[in-house]
Amino acid sequence: MRDRANLQVTRRKMRDRSIALVLVGIVALLPPVAGMALIDGTVAGIPIPVLYVFIVWTALIVGAAALAPALQEQDETGTPGGSDETER
Amino acid sequence: MLTGNVLLIACLSYVALLFAVAFVVDRRARRRPVEWLHSPLVYTLSISVYCTSWTFYGAVGSAARNGLEFITIYLGPTLVFIGWWWLLRKLVRIGRVHNITSIADLISSRYGKSPSLAVLVTLIAVIATTPYIALQLQSVTRSYQVIASEAESFATAFWIAAGMALFAILFGTRNLDANERHHGVVAAIAVEAIVKLVALIAVGIFATYGIAGGFSGIFADVPTEAIRGAGDIFGPRWVVLTFLSATAIICLPRQFQVTVVENIEERHLSTASWLFPLYLLGMTLFIMPIALVGQEVMPAGSNPDLYVLTLPLSQQRDELALLAFLGGFSSATSMVIVAAIAVSTMVSNHIVMPAALKLIAASRGVSGDVRSLLLISRRVSIGVILGLGFLYFHLSGGSDALASIGLIAFTGVAQFLPSLIGGIFWRGATRAGALSGLLAGFTLWAYTLFLPSFEGDLILTAAALSEGPWGLVLLRPQALFGLTGYDPLVHAVIWSVGINTLVFVTISSLTRADDLERLQGGQFVDVYRSAGGSPTLITAGTAHSEDLFVLAQRILGRDPARRLFDEMARTQGTASGLPYPSDAMIARLERELTGSIGAASAHAMVTGIAGRQTVGMTELIDIADETQRLIETSRQLAVKSDQLENAARQLRTANERLRALDQQKDEFLSQVSHELRTPMTSIRSFTEILQDDDATTVEERARFVSIIHDESLRLTRLLDEILDISRLEAGTARFQLEPIDANAVIGAAVNTITGVARSAGVTITTEPLPDGVPLKANADRLRQVLINILSNAVRYNPVDDPKITVRTAMRGSDVHIDVIDNGGGVTREEAELVFEKFARGSRSGRDQGAGLGLPISRAIMQAMNGDLTIEFAPNGTSFFRIRLSKA
Repeated sequence: MRDRANLQVTRRKMRDRSIALVLVGIVALLPPVAGMALIDGTVAGIPIPVLYVFIVWTALIVGAAALAPALQEQDETGTPGGSDETER
Repeated sequence: MLTGNVLLIACLSYVALLFAVAFVVDRRARRRPVEWLHSPLVYTLSISVYCTSWTFYGAVGSAARNGLEFITIYLGPTLVFIGWWWLLRKLVRIGRVHNITSIADLISSRYGKSPSLAVLVTLIAVIATTPYIALQLQSVTRSYQVIASEAESFATAFWIAAGMALFAILFGTRNLDANERHHGVVAAIAVEAIVKLVALIAVGIFATYGIAGGFSGIFADVPTEAIRGAGDIFGPRWVVLTFLSATAIICLPRQFQVTVVENIEERHLSTASWLFPLYLLGMTLFIMPIALVGQEVMPAGSNPDLYVLTLPLSQQRDELALLAFLGGFSSATSMVIVAAIAVSTMVSNHIVMPAALKLIAASRGVSGDVRSLLLISRRVSIGVILGLGFLYFHLSGGSDALASIGLIAFTGVAQFLPSLIGGIFWRGATRAGALSGLLAGFTLWAYTLFLPSFEGDLILTAAALSEGPWGLVLLRPQALFGLTGYDPLVHAVIWSVGINTLVFVTISSLTRADDLERLQGGQFVDVYRSAGGSPTLITAGTAHSEDLFVLAQRILGRDPARRLFDEMARTQGTASGLPYPSDAMIARLERELTGSIGAASAHAMVTGIAGRQTVGMTELIDIADETQRLIETSRQLAVKSDQLENAARQLRTANERLRALDQQKDEFLSQVSHELRTPMTSIRSFTEILQDDDATTVEERARFVSIIHDESLRLTRLLDEILDISRLEAGTARFQLEPIDANAVIGAAVNTITGVARSAGVTITTEPLPDGVPLKANADRLRQVLINILSNAVRYNPVDDPKITVRTAMRGSDVHIDVIDNGGGVTREEAELVFEKFARGSRSGRDQGAGLGLPISRAIMQAMNGDLTIEFAPNGTSFFRIRLSKA
């Protein structure tokens, strides 16, 4: 019973993380936050705004790749009826 | 040196290679599932059809003009894909559950399988796709011209358009797949995806390391303006572009096709969620370096849209230029193929089919194959779509930057977004809302963005563009109602998408959905809950399996239709012949047809044959929201527990009855043994006396033997009676019933009893009906019953002047034979008892008769569909009544 509860918490956490990832992406890639990266100068020969966008982008991809297997498993074994709906 | 002929040969061999791939994969997929084709990698690569020649050529041009802004086109899709769990997963699930064939099908399906909505979405898709196709034509034409050093563009563009149309027709409409899946095309697209990625990265590496000497060299003396563009880069335009690209990855017909329709397994989506953004990252990594190097190396005034091609050419790297050309060609052709397939499917399913449907309805008996009509209509629509693209390219002059053409298309398909998102997350969205929102958005898009893109050549004149139509400044297309200070694209998005959403939400909240719409809405919004999807019910009744079979043959083809119907017949448990047109069968058929021709057409066709459509009870429950669902569940539980209680009660009653019967059996047995015991005892005692020879005289012996004989006769009679009654009660005794005359039987019975009666001094009178009494009975058995009753009456009459009357009467369809004696009868309590086995009336003393006569008589009467009862006269005396039906 306790394992089950734990599993449910983990699953909900995974879904929360996936939506958090999207929110972080939106905030980081859109103004005004993105505008703060508009700084003259280069790091490793690459202008900071360009570097900033690509780094955020890469981080999002890494985050998505990390979440994908857990979410996938949840989709296949999850509570019948789609877990995101039941907790609305 | 690269020439036009070399290019032509390269292109043709490349196309031949793609064909070979598609052909082989299609053939193998037909035999058995191709393992690698079912991999998430191929799925992801097919989604990369998003990267068209806009990306391949246009992104560099965009980077050269506006700096980093080009990247928004790839950030939007990235955000959508990393959030796949919330939106794409649901779309894919809906697509699978409802056999969705296109975005028009999805939207029309959601809003009650509305044909008008399907037509509107299809029209918008065709019009919005047109500039996009033009973009591909333009880029291939330009790239060809650069290499072949050719100035004349009309003929080149025309032949490229024609070639692409042929290409798309050959690829996309070779056959009709039931689920609109094209395995061969997907494989070819995957190959093209690799080619364009490799080509772009190769050119990028060459530009970065071959020409500029690394990243630091490229960015060393680049002014900030080259990065941030002319204006404020992270401004409204940045937001709008990100929004548009996020929308496009869902709403573009071709993206919907590859992401939702061609999806083989849902789990591929989880891999694509990071692999596709990674692919985009790879595609864009070198865009900025190529643009910057191009600006530095290429002579002033050269087209930045073609840097990818002209940069290697200017450095005499022909092989790289050829690779770049093939990369661009790949991007263009993959987009054109998929877009043409997607849009032509929509046109044939939602515009041509409904028209054909009318013709078919008019001639239902005629057997014609709709498949050929479908194929032809798809081929013609592909031709028309490319023709429109060519026309757009020709009219707009092809002078615009590639990116801005693409953005017109993006904004066009963004009009689907409110209806789509609202449709799958909001139960309250209605058809009227979707229709009016789409219409408003489409009109505003056409007015503020699409028509102005012709720069005064189509409908809106140049004057109307700058001064407003008829000089109405307020109606200036690019500053509508005085909204100024925005980029034309931002302006158009604000108006079209904004008004679209507002109208959609407002009208939805003001209108009510009909049953089918509510049903579909519920199933779409709650797609995870009702997995498997229980489709609409149709009242059968007017449906004929033959008609449905003819319909299925026309659309699915002879053999698939036969297979489908055989399978449905098997499911229903029918060994041969057509399945019964049950609700489930019709719903199943509709779903299968939906996979070929879309929900609206399939629904219209099936209901056209099956009759008026209604929504069944279970589906209405499906529509119901959570609370109603709970109420329904608890109601069902209550019903269940009621049923259980009922069953328990019935079990209890049955048990009690069994116990009573068991007790009766015990009593019966003890009575039987008791009854048997008396004669047995007397027989035994007399035989004992006889054994003792001396004690008896001859006369005594003779008397004793006669007693023993009488007693054994009584025993035999008793056993016969017991056998008789057990046979009668078990229902195994069957009498031959025949028409007889009651008077004859009564006469015979009275004659039999006369001897006894006379010796007892009883007078028997009969009152027969003069015309005879026709009966349906067994004469011997009826006589047995009468004798039994009469002998009872003779035997147990205590009065001095005993009289018996037998009276016959007709009562409706019944015949009553009443045996009345003046002995006083029995009391009402006794009347209940006399029919019990071994019961004796109070009038009988301790004497012969085991008390089985009346129970046997009654059982005989009941076996002859009649009855034997004790009735009470008004004066309180009782009499026997035999009831039988008339012959």
